[in-house]
Amino acid sequence: MGGDVSLAEQTASERRRPWSHILVFLAPAALIYTVFSIYPLLDTIRYALYTQDEHGVAHFAGLANFVDLFSLPVWADQFRNALVNNLIFFVIHVIVQNIIGIALAAMLSLPKLFGRNLYRTLIFLPTMLSVVIIGFVWQLILSPLWGVSEGFLKAIGLPQLFAPWLGQESTALVTISLISVWQFVGIPMMLIYAALLNIPEDLVDAATVDGANHLHVFFYVKLPLILPTIGLVAILTFVGNFNAFDLIYAVKGTLAGPNFASDILGTFFYRTFFGYQLQLGNPTMGAAVATMMFLIILIGVMIYLFGVQRRMQRYAL
Amino acid sequence: MPDVTLRGISKSFGTTQILHDINLEVKDGEFCVFVGPSGCGKTTLLRIIAGLETVGAGELSIGGRRVNELAPAERRIAMVFQSYALYPHMTVYRNIAFGLKFSGGRKAEVDAKVRRTAEILHLTPLLNRKPRDLSGGQRQRVAIGRAIVREPSVFLFDEPLSNLDAALRVNTRIEIAKLHRQLAATMIYVTHDQVEAMTLASKIVVLNHGRIEQAGAPLELYHRPRNLFVAGFIGSPKMNLIKGRVVASDAEGARIALADGRETRLRKVEAALAPGQEVTLGIRPEHMSAGQGGPVALEGSVDAVERLGEASYVYMHLADGTNITLRSPGDSKVEPGSALTVSAASGAVHLFDADGLALAHIAIPA
Amino acid sequence: MTRPIARPRLGRIAVHGALLFYTLVAIGPILLILVNAFKSRRAIFNEPLALPTAKTFSLIGFDKVLAKSDFGLYFLNSLTVTIGSVALVLAAGAMAAWALTEYRFRGNAFLGLYMAIGVMVPIRLGSVSILQLMVDLNLVNTLTALILVYTAQGLPLAIILLAEFIQQIPRDLRDAARCDGIGEYHIFWSVILPLLRPAVATVAVFTIVPIWNDLWFPLILAPGNGKQTITLGVQQFIGQYVIDWNAVIASLSLAIAPILVLYILFSRQLVRGLTAGAVK
Repeated sequence: MGGDVSLAEQTASERRRPWSHILVFLAPAALIYTVFSIYPLLDTIRYALYTQDEHGVAHFAGLANFVDLFSLPVWADQFRNALVNNLIFFVIHVIVQNIIGIALAAMLSLPKLFGRNLYRTLIFLPTMLSVVIIGFVWQLILSPLWGVSEGFLKAIGLPQLFAPWLGQESTALVTISLISVWQFVGIPMMLIYAALLNIPEDLVDAATVDGANHLHVFFYVKLPLILPTIGLVAILTFVGNFNAFDLIYAVKGTLAGPNFASDILGTFFYRTFFGYQLQLGNPTMGAAVATMMFLIILIGVMIYLFGVQRRMQRYAL
Repeated sequence: MPDVTLRGISKSFGTTQILHDINLEVKDGEFCVFVGPSGCGKTTLLRIIAGLETVGAGELSIGGRRVNELAPAERRIAMVFQSYALYPHMTVYRNIAFGLKFSGGRKAEVDAKVRRTAEILHLTPLLNRKPRDLSGGQRQRVAIGRAIVREPSVFLFDEPLSNLDAALRVNTRIEIAKLHRQLAATMIYVTHDQVEAMTLASKIVVLNHGRIEQAGAPLELYHRPRNLFVAGFIGSPKMNLIKGRVVASDAEGARIALADGRETRLRKVEAALAPGQEVTLGIRPEHMSAGQGGPVALEGSVDAVERLGEASYVYMHLADGTNITLRSPGDSKVEPGSALTVSAASGAVHLFDADGLALAHIAIPA
Repeated sequence: MTRPIARPRLGRIAVHGALLFYTLVAIGPILLILVNAFKSRRAIFNEPLALPTAKTFSLIGFDKVLAKSDFGLYFLNSLTVTIGSVALVLAAGAMAAWALTEYRFRGNAFLGLYMAIGVMVPIRLGSVSILQLMVDLNLVNTLTALILVYTAQGLPLAIILLAEFIQQIPRDLRDAARCDGIGEYHIFWSVILPLLRPAVATVAVFTIVPIWNDLWFPLILAPGNGKQTITLGVQQFIGQYVIDWNAVIASLSLAIAPILVLYILFSRQLVRGLTAGAVK
């Protein structure tokens, strides 16, 4: 690819350059990327159209896997459960993460704030660490065995609030979502902070002269100008959430318990693909689940690109 | 009366003092221009008047009312920013209406005001556009519109023309002058361009290192600069400065030995000069002419000639290296490399003492 | 509405209070683990919030981790995989970014889009085929498999970041070199690459962190045979010794430490990269 050079459009100095340069420069990246990223993605989609017999031989089966996934209770119930959980996971992220992120960024962008860099660096720290490690850390902290959180709540006078949040069916998913928000809130904070810094001071001054107070300035001038960034954060979160796996696997294992209460598409995909306990893995069905995840992410990205981003064009400041 | 009065205004950022004891009165309806090199404190002074910076020390009053502690919106001022500071996500209409939103006017009233303002500035067909769809000149007009619509008693301009190209700058300059006449409002205008200052101002305030060097009418500053800084800053090309020493002085005049060894006689010098005193002679390029015409004669060799058509600027240096600029007629025959004698009437000479303060203005009376 | 212009002192204090509170929320849990890694089992349970004292200080957790698992080996595996992938991403990425920004050729725009797919679509979704591919290539349970996948994963973002940076290098610089008759490879090697150095740090941080922290691909492609990365190693270790709190906390600390050091060293580049990306 890229070998076909159109000479007509080139200037005289460029024409002397043979196309072999371009090929040499592009080949390594294009090759690795195509073989280990694009090809597997396409091949997975193809593979989703096959089924395996008991000898492990694959046969073309059309949309049979997808029909099973949507209609056979064995698959459909789990798929729906994982999808709904994943949506809850995402909604909690978008709401909590953006509110905390905007609040932190707004405070950090105050002029002449003492210790700004230190706050920023420390608050961003958890984002750098492995999701697995973070999962274990919180598992220990929330564990009734250790009693750190129980002791903490007692110390601030709210002992009745304590419960084994990760162990209860009703609270496991929300707790895990909040752990994830806690870890990744640094990203919206950083991006919104940068967006706020990019708003020219003159605009704020002008609004002040126009009689706007701090809150007016924030809601009428700053917020509209950082909306595109919030949109970007939302789509990044969406993609990240809909292929999340590590945190739940670390905290709750393959079964995403209790009783699949914290199962999301990533863990469902892993179970389908590799099996669990006595259930054997099913690669073609795994491919079908991956294809569904691919479609969901694609739809999300499309909505963002054509629905959201178009309308919230960035302003040349 | 919306006079703006500054009494002993000082301002520091950290340990650096930006403004030192500024005293100034801007009268109702005056067009006052702050001019000076970058970093002289002129923008800080404007922002203090706007209320965007706190007053370090001193008292600021507008219309006889102390405003030190008042928020910008309560000072009845409006400001036009260098970058225009248009809200990029709002239409021209909403940009102009934004400031009225907080003063609690009725919707119909706001609408009428916005439309009237748009009419004045020929913005009516653009009201529904966003700033990014406007040209530089149009943006500039919206910025001015946003100020006008609030009917302030004082307009503040922070280098409003510096983002426009040369031709548009001259046009807008004239527009602003017209606007000033039309509204009869007090305007304070910051620029580093002395031409803008001369053409717009009814009063110029020359600032340097956070101090007022001189304040007065444009021609007063031109004819009677109080010191070397003002003399050099006002007028283009710059005033020529020639070092000299007083040889003798009496009621008739003074004899001064110039740095290049020549001696010159000045008539009717009103200042007391002591023999041996170091002085600087200042002569504007437009007050010199080629040839032996006046009593102050200088000889040098020509480095370059710029021919502008209506005039030619001759750049030359004297034997001691002093650079001299001369404005001569457009058809001047002077060539680079040639020797040239130039002269000026003694009435065209400004005299400054060793500290740079003006001794006597024997220049053409204002 | 009368509002003093001087920023209210009280407001500033409230802001610092809020920021301090959140900073504690952010780093508290991590500090808690790091502190307790140096305490005896009794102290971990009795006074979890206390700093280790002479009486409670203990390295038993670390002793156990190092004795019962191949932590050194896992660490080395992670290091090999990360360095290998980052080197490949940077080398191949810089070359491709240069070709895509510098040369106009048919398919240029298409290739740019093609690369952008990888930024939005997670490579994980191709895992079924990737595993098949690695089986066919006989690369299962090797670090090579991980390096190849991570290179493919890191390339798209690296190319976009580097291309943006290359565009900022003045055109005149390359044209001057061409007028001097210097060849294209030479221009890339001795004009462009040295100028890319500041960008390389940013790209490297962005590439290293997800690779070092990943659990998915080690779990699928190299889960055994002493080829575990540190993240997987810790996960397996904790799964095995759940009840040994000293060992668990020590293993977590060991996993946190390298990233912590890297972060302290490179937080400036990282912040610059994040904030510059947002300007677009």
